[in-house]
Amino acid sequence: MNRYLLRARKYGVAAGVSLRNRLAYAGNFASSMATYALFIFVFSRIWTAVFAASGPAIAGYDRVMCIWYFIVAEVPMFGFGHFFHTLAQDMKSGQVAYLLGRPYSFVGYHYADGMGAALLEAGILLAEGILLGGLLAGALPLRSLVQLLAVLFSLLLAGSLQFLLQFAIAMTAFWFEENTAFFWIFQKIALVVGTLLPIEFLPEAAQRIVRWTPFPSLAYAPARLAVAFGPASGGLLLEQAAWVVAAAAVCRLVFGVGRTKIASQGG
Amino acid sequence: MTAIRVEGLSKTFRTKTKAEGFGASLRGLVRPRWRSVDAVRGVDFEVEEGEVVAFLGPNGAGKSTTIKMLTGILVPTSGRAEVLGIESASRRARDRVRLARSIGAVFGQKSQLWFHLPPSDSFRLLGAVYEIEPAPLARRKAELVERFGIADYMDVPVRKLSLGERIRCEIAASLLHEPRVLFLDEPTIGLDVVVKREIRGLLEEAAKRDHVTIFLTSHDIGDIEKVCKRAIIIHHGAVIVDESMKELKHRALAKKFIGVKYTAPANLDLPGLKPLKRTEDAARFEIDTRVHRIEDVLRRLVERGEILDLTVEDESLENIIAEIFTSRSEEDARAASRARPTSALGPGTDSGGGSSDEPGGAP
Repeated sequence: MNRYLLRARKYGVAAGVSLRNRLAYAGNFASSMATYALFIFVFSRIWTAVFAASGPAIAGYDRVMCIWYFIVAEVPMFGFGHFFHTLAQDMKSGQVAYLLGRPYSFVGYHYADGMGAALLEAGILLAEGILLGGLLAGALPLRSLVQLLAVLFSLLLAGSLQFLLQFAIAMTAFWFEENTAFFWIFQKIALVVGTLLPIEFLPEAAQRIVRWTPFPSLAYAPARLAVAFGPASGGLLLEQAAWVVAAAAVCRLVFGVGRTKIASQGG
Repeated sequence: MTAIRVEGLSKTFRTKTKAEGFGASLRGLVRPRWRSVDAVRGVDFEVEEGEVVAFLGPNGAGKSTTIKMLTGILVPTSGRAEVLGIESASRRARDRVRLARSIGAVFGQKSQLWFHLPPSDSFRLLGAVYEIEPAPLARRKAELVERFGIADYMDVPVRKLSLGERIRCEIAASLLHEPRVLFLDEPTIGLDVVVKREIRGLLEEAAKRDHVTIFLTSHDIGDIEKVCKRAIIIHHGAVIVDESMKELKHRALAKKFIGVKYTAPANLDLPGLKPLKRTEDAARFEIDTRVHRIEDVLRRLVERGEILDLTVEDESLENIIAEIFTSRSEEDARAASRARPTSALGPGTDSGGGSSDEPGGAP
C-alpha cells in the first residue's frame, strides 16, 4: 500500500471505529433526537405566530423559509455541538496524556474520531428534520442537486469548524483549570448568531460585526444555502472553508504550545 | 546499543494549594498559592537494548513521571531522556513520530482499548495508527492472539472482559507494531495471583522472543523477581539503588532468621544475640552473617537442649526492598545500602525466582 495512503488510512479507520463505538448503544441518539424534534415543533409554532402577526415576510424570509432555516441550522448545533465535553473530560482526567505517544497528528486523529460519530448523528438528525419539516412546513425548498450537495458540503464544513473551535477552547485547559465558561459563552453566541435567527434579523451594526467572526459559518451558512440558494452561496462556502483552515491552524498552534505544559502527575 | 539514556532528568510540578475556610478560598481567587513538587530530581541511568529492568519505588517516588518523560508525554524541567537515540522531549514532529513507532506502553490503570468495542476493533485501529500493511497486521495479530491466548475475547466488548483478560489484550496490543522498547507501568495492578503469574510468563516470553527491551514499574515483588534482570530503585525522585537482581538478592544473604523449638524449656540467652521472639522453649533470632557465623550459632543452640524443630530462613527480597522504600530520607536509604556489603556473599537463596542466576545487565 502507498505510504501516503497508509498514513491517511489511520484517520479513516479512526472515524470508522468511532462510528462503531457510537452505534454500540441504540439509545445514544434518542435524547438529541427528542430534543431536536421538540425544538422544531416549538419554533414552527413561534414562527407561525410571528408571521401571522407581522405579515408575509421579514428581512426576506417567509414562514416556511424560517422553519426550514431553523431545521437546517440546528443540525450542526445538535450533531456537532458536543465535542468540547469529551475533549475537556479527557484533559481533566489526564487521559489526553496517554493519547500523545502515538504516531499521528493529534488534532487530525481527534478530528477523525469526533467527526466519525458526529457525522452519523448529524445525518440521522437531518433525516428527522426533513421528515418533521415536511409535516410542519411542506417540502424542503430545494431547487437542484447542486443546491443539495452545497448544503451537505456546507454542513460538513460547519461541523468541522464546530470541532476545531471546540478543540481550541478545550485545549485552554493547558493554562486554565476550569474552561467550561469559555465554551458556555461560545455556545450562547453561536446560538444567537445565526442558529435561532437568521443573521439578517439582527440590527445592522450587529450584522456588520458578526460577519467578521466565524459564527455565521457554524449554522447560518448551511441554513441560508438551504432556503435561499443563489449567486452569493459560493461566497458563503468559501468563507466557511477559510474559517476551517484558520481554525485548524489555531488548533495546531494551541496544541503545539500547550502540550509542553501537560502536568499529568502520578500513575 | 543503549536503549534508554537518562541524564540529570528532573520534573517539577507546580500545584495550586488551597487553605481551609471561605476567606482563604476568596483570597485564592485573587492571589493563588502555588507549591512546587519535585517529582523527579536529577535521575541518571542507562538501559542497554534487550535488558529487562524493574523501576521500583513507593507511591509518589517518581516512577510514573519518569516513564511519562521517557515516552514523550511529559516534558522534563531539566536534564534529558533519550530512547533509542531519540530525544523524548523533542519538539520536532518527525522525532515524536519516530519515538512513538519504536516504543510501546502499557499503563495498568489506563486503557488503550475502546471500552465499548471488542479488542479486534482496537487492534485494527492500532494497526492503522502504526501504519502496518493489512497482510502483515493480520499475521502479527494472529501470532499475538495465539501467544496471549486471547482468541475467545477478541470479539467481546472490552467492558465485558475481566481485568486479567483486558490486561492480556492491552499487552498484546502494545506489541502489535513490534516495538523495540516496551514501557509497562504497573501492568499487574489489581490482578489475582494466577493471572499475575500468566502475565509475567507472557512478558518473559515477549522479552525473549521479540528481543524487546522492557522497562517495568511495579509494586509487586513477584513481577520483579520473575521478569527482571536489573532493578533501579527510585525514592523521593532520586535513584538510590541501581544493580542487577542477582546483586539485590545477595543482600538477602547478609541476614538469616533462625527459629528453634526445644522439647523442654531451655536457657536461650546467647551472648551477642537478641531474640526477635522468645518463649520458655522457643525463640527466633535475626543473625547478621557478617558478625556471626551460622554454624557457630547453630552449634550453640544445639548445646542448649534437645531440639524439636529448627528453621533457617533468608530475608525475603520483598523485605529488603520494603526497608529501602521506608527509609525516611534519601541519605538514610543510601546509608542502608552502604551498610550491606555484597562482595563477600555467596550465591544461592530461597527468596528469588528462576532468573536469579542469569547475568545481570547493569551497564
